[in-house]
Amino acid sequence: MELFQFILELITLPAFILGLIALIGLVIQKKPFSEVLTGTVKTILGLLIMSIGIGALINSLVPIQLMFETGFPAGQLTTFVTFDEGVVSAVQDANVAGIGAAIAWTMLFGYIIHILLARFTKFKYIYLTGHMIWIHAGAFAILFHSFGLSLFWTVLLASIVDGLYMTLAPALAQPIMRKITGNNEIAFGHGQTLLNMLGAWVGKLIGDPDDSAEKQTTSSGWDFFRDMAMSISIIMILVALVAVILAVVQIGVAGVHEQISGGQNFLLFALLQALGFTAGVLVLLQGVRMLIAEIVPAFKGIAEKAIPGAKPALDCPVIYSFAPNSLIIGLISGTIGQVAGIVILALIGWPVPLPSMIAAFFASGAGAIFGNATGGKKGAWAGGFLWGFVGWFLISFAYKFGVFGDLAAMGATALGFTVPDAIIPGILIWLVAKLFGV
Amino acid sequence: MIIATLCGMGFGTSMMLKLFIEDILRDEEIKAKVVSWDLGSHKGQDADIIVAPSDMARHLQSSESTVVLIKNLVDKVEIRIKVLEAIQSLQD
Repeated sequence: MELFQFILELITLPAFILGLIALIGLVIQKKPFSEVLTGTVKTILGLLIMSIGIGALINSLVPIQLMFETGFPAGQLTTFVTFDEGVVSAVQDANVAGIGAAIAWTMLFGYIIHILLARFTKFKYIYLTGHMIWIHAGAFAILFHSFGLSLFWTVLLASIVDGLYMTLAPALAQPIMRKITGNNEIAFGHGQTLLNMLGAWVGKLIGDPDDSAEKQTTSSGWDFFRDMAMSISIIMILVALVAVILAVVQIGVAGVHEQISGGQNFLLFALLQALGFTAGVLVLLQGVRMLIAEIVPAFKGIAEKAIPGAKPALDCPVIYSFAPNSLIIGLISGTIGQVAGIVILALIGWPVPLPSMIAAFFASGAGAIFGNATGGKKGAWAGGFLWGFVGWFLISFAYKFGVFGDLAAMGATALGFTVPDAIIPGILIWLVAKLFGV
Repeated sequence: MIIATLCGMGFGTSMMLKLFIEDILRDEEIKAKVVSWDLGSHKGQDADIIVAPSDMARHLQSSESTVVLIKNLVDKVEIRIKVLEAIQSLQD
């Protein structure tokens, strides 16, 4: 019995399952023993590093949240951070009711279903963006888990939805990808697809592709946003300063010192929380890096053998070099879109996702490139803006109505999902479940 | 020899570049270790060659490694030519 208990605990331990996936992948690739061993251990370490990062991140986020709550008394405003990696790693780490194991198994079986679909349907795409494979497995597993299903049914249903997503989303984006890249070699593999397509559709309505934003030469100067550590720090310092000033307006400097900062100077305290949050994000991302570094090459090797000639669906920055001007337009219009969304959400009393530089650069940037491909300059402005604006409503909706269940109870305090490819199918499935009274 | 690939986050594009470069190295039978890093933490780490998207040029001006800038990240021909050139120049 003792042994049985040990095995049962082992196969529900996320770190073990992901280590096992890496191990199998490395063995299939016929790597030497030393690489199999280091690869497996590093995958497990990656998961543990992630849990340290998410702890640090939430530690700094909670006081910032507290400052906002103090600044808007009587519960007029809820704020949260929209960060997919944060949600999945926090939920996986807390592993409430075996959800972490469901995520890990969904990552494996979802990918197997994806390969089978690509092999036997006309949608010949291999989804290779590691963190997105993990995030969507996480989102769909959390979704079905929140309906109260058993581990088996959660993994089964989540894997099917996940496999369908990874196969169909690149196919949906491919007509636009052909316009952007000028060939048919690569596909788009990132959770932004649905909002990017919105940008492309609106661009087509309002603009003209011949009026491309790429016809001018760029004046650079925005490229420091490439350094995530810097751009997250800047945005979080701004957020924390706004929060602390709102709190000071309500309860005064002495009140903040007494109730929030533990005696530390309020400005210094806000600054340190902002930088502490960024540090947590960086640690978390280091963990993600180690987690997927071993699994992605294994998935790639298997997929290439199973589906010869398939198009690789790759991370969003692969399209940036085709449209650098649109990327900058997206960064600007996306930030405007986020701010507009934040103002309206605050006015109607919905939860407010704090501004995100990651979304403005990576998501609105890609949205603008899609918009530019069908609607030129106007399309680029619309694509970037809509990603921020509509995106913020979707993110807020999922958080407000608990589409993915009670994330805070699962360990993800004040965190929400960002990617529309998880949120929109999530909302649809959630509505169907509601209809059946789940 | 260590070849580092770079991108903003350190696991998306850089991972893809890493996989492309590993394919090239296998074809050419060159032994080298390829690692993927994020732009924020490449300083203080050692690599003989850094491969990065061309819009990161400004961040890499002070790098002591041989820097290879890739214009079209999905153009395997460009990656192959530039990376092999850099390896060649290091071996000379």
